[in-house]
Amino acid sequence: MIVVLGLAVVGTPGATAGDEQDRPVLRVGTEGTYPPFSYEDGGDLTGYDIDVMKAVADEAGFDVEFVEAPFDALFPALDSKRIDVIANQVTINDEREARYLFTEPYTFSRGVIVTATDTDDITTLDDIEGKVAAQSETSNWAQVARDAGAEVQSVEGFAQAAELLVQGRVDVVVNDNIAVLDYLASTGSTEIEIKGQVDDEISKQALVFRQADGDLRDRADAALKKLAADGTLAEISEGYFKADVSVEDGGDVEVEGSGGGRSTWEVLQDTAGPMLVGVLKGTIPLTIISFVAGLAIALGVALARMSSVKALRLPARFYISLIRGTPLLVQLFVIFYGLPQIGIKLPGFPAACLALSLNVGGYAAEIIRGSILSVPRGQFEAATTIGMPYRQLMRRIVLPQAARIAVPPLSNTLLSLVKDTSLVSVVLVTEVLREADKAASLTGEFLPLYCLSALYFWVICFALSIGQDKLEKKLGRYAV
Amino acid sequence: MSTTGHLIEVEGLRKSFGDTAVLEDVGFTASSGTCTVLLGPSGSGKTTVLRSLNVLETPDAGVVRIGEAAVDFGELPRDKGLRRKEIRDLRARSGMVFQSHNLFPHKTVLGNIVEGPVQVQGQSPEEAEAEARRLLEQVGLAGRETAYPAQLSGGQQQRVGIARALALKPDVVLLDEPTSALDPELVGEVLAVIRDLSQQGWTMVIVTHEVRFAQDVADQVLFLHSGVVAERGGAEVLTDPQQERTQQFLRRVLEAR
Ligand SMILES: Nc1ncnc2c1ncn2[C@@H]1O[C@H](COP(=O)(O)OP(=O)(O)O)[C@@H](O)[C@H]1O
Ligand SMILES: [Mg+2]
Repeated sequence: MIVVLGLAVVGTPGATAGDEQDRPVLRVGTEGTYPPFSYEDGGDLTGYDIDVMKAVADEAGFDVEFVEAPFDALFPALDSKRIDVIANQVTINDEREARYLFTEPYTFSRGVIVTATDTDDITTLDDIEGKVAAQSETSNWAQVARDAGAEVQSVEGFAQAAELLVQGRVDVVVNDNIAVLDYLASTGSTEIEIKGQVDDEISKQALVFRQADGDLRDRADAALKKLAADGTLAEISEGYFKADVSVEDGGDVEVEGSGGGRSTWEVLQDTAGPMLVGVLKGTIPLTIISFVAGLAIALGVALARMSSVKALRLPARFYISLIRGTPLLVQLFVIFYGLPQIGIKLPGFPAACLALSLNVGGYAAEIIRGSILSVPRGQFEAATTIGMPYRQLMRRIVLPQAARIAVPPLSNTLLSLVKDTSLVSVVLVTEVLREADKAASLTGEFLPLYCLSALYFWVICFALSIGQDKLEKKLGRYAV
Repeated sequence: MSTTGHLIEVEGLRKSFGDTAVLEDVGFTASSGTCTVLLGPSGSGKTTVLRSLNVLETPDAGVVRIGEAAVDFGELPRDKGLRRKEIRDLRARSGMVFQSHNLFPHKTVLGNIVEGPVQVQGQSPEEAEAEARRLLEQVGLAGRETAYPAQLSGGQQQRVGIARALALKPDVVLLDEPTSALDPELVGEVLAVIRDLSQQGWTMVIVTHEVRFAQDVADQVLFLHSGVVAERGGAEVLTDPQQERTQQFLRRVLEAR
């Protein structure tokens, strides 16, 4: 079993129904930030859903590979075949059943209504009409809240939602009772409380497969039934909840809290290491690769933009305008989730590099063009009269002078890039901020953890700006 | 093309920028080893003539021949590659000295001079550097090899500019007002270098308003006026011009001194 951390490069060919008969490798999408179902304990992915998934895999003869991503990225990842199954307390509902294949449920739970302790007017679903609810956008609970007339604010996971409640920025959160109990036990928070039940209906959570993978679903289903019959599911559940949630009436849930009662200092100590790994394996390589590739793109585009050939100029202008006129997040989504629909499927890390490179390319192209234009005309002419062809003239005379002019603005682009890498967790790549999110989802220590990740970014940027000074001195030595 | 024995032949040169005709039928010849001085009021087209010889400007019509390289601008080859080659061959025959020197600021004095010989002509760096040092000595700048242009005075910069043009061993050296951008006290050192070149037998075409200097070095003087050669002759034209507008121009220039 490989828990894919750090660079969640989904490189191995996934399971496709019917193709691989014996032991298909199943890529399992899960949040890793949803205790006690899916979370990290000392760097290892664990939780009820994780254990159930592993047991199912053993029974059905699958190999599994876990891919961690925010909840709202899980269904797009399933659609774009980056994962094969979701094990993350996905509630069965009609809309989802129309689009996906569910197994038998392995969790029966109740939705609860959570508010700040001093909120008194919300105790039933009827009360949340017109209120603001914090939810994972694509979760079933978000739908429940919306149907009840609440305005839904989108967040990345339950811990963030709880924090918004504590801060009084939202009125209510609708969630699974077990996750709420775990949060309360972990954080010891008295600032938020369960105020009521969603309704009488019990909700059911199951594994989700793509419609085309009926064969895999059937094998998982058979395995789940067997595990239910032989008591394995009950045993896993007892271990986490002191009750059997895999059946409808398994008793009252009791949780200790997955966060484990650590002090803030201990949380920081435990998280600093994984965050450093996120820096070394995510932030830094992403930055270096994207910047180098981005500059190469930018140079080509800048030259095309200044070309006398219209067929080069127009596409270059269009590219620059497109990149600068659309959000980076949208560019990331298009490349990672959009392109697979026309048959171009890149793993997370290369997709992130591509999106960031194209983004840098668009911004840096204008900087490079401006720098080239600011090299005096006389320099082009002097190089021409000594017989230099265009390429040589550019490479030896113009670009070195343009480089000097371009260094300060390009440094800004580089620093922006460093910070933009924090967006890539949406395409299943782990970097610093994602590690902070994971730790915060267990402990609720948002302030210290986010400050620590800010510190990491700041150190990188500080080192880079020292490099910029050195480079400017070196390039500027001829100007007296 | 020609049997006259002239090194430079220019015939029927025409150039307009938009609607303004800048050159209208300019022609002249010059023999090897001679110095041709171009004079004329500002805007009369002197720079455009020089730039046409080096094809920094592409004339609309006319023929330029230097040595064996000739380009008929009225009938440039259709083929892009062929056209480029013709232009490159003609350009290689002349070296250009700019009014504002246009040295490469990111290269040392030596680097500026060897750039063309090494990068374009493919000389070995050692060979090119030895020649560059010799040229620097000739222009009185021995010992400044490693300086950057910004560390030199205007006169020194212009002398490096001359050395850079000479390093390519062109048939003709073109100089466009080489002293106009200089402080008066620096003019002399540059003129001395140019006078020296003339004595060594370099063929030159030079635009200058330094009338006394022109009298010394000129074998041929051309007065340009509104894009045509208004008057031409030997150095004596400078002291005894025939045409009214030439006389006027010279009076103004001499008064300004
Ligand atoms: N690139 C150009 N575009 C438009 N007009 C130009 C250009 N270069 C020169 N001219 C015009 O052509 C005329 C002759 O210029 P030039 O040859 O520089 O004259 P001179 O060197 O005798 O002062 C001037 O009127 C000038 O404004
Ligand atoms: Mg001029």
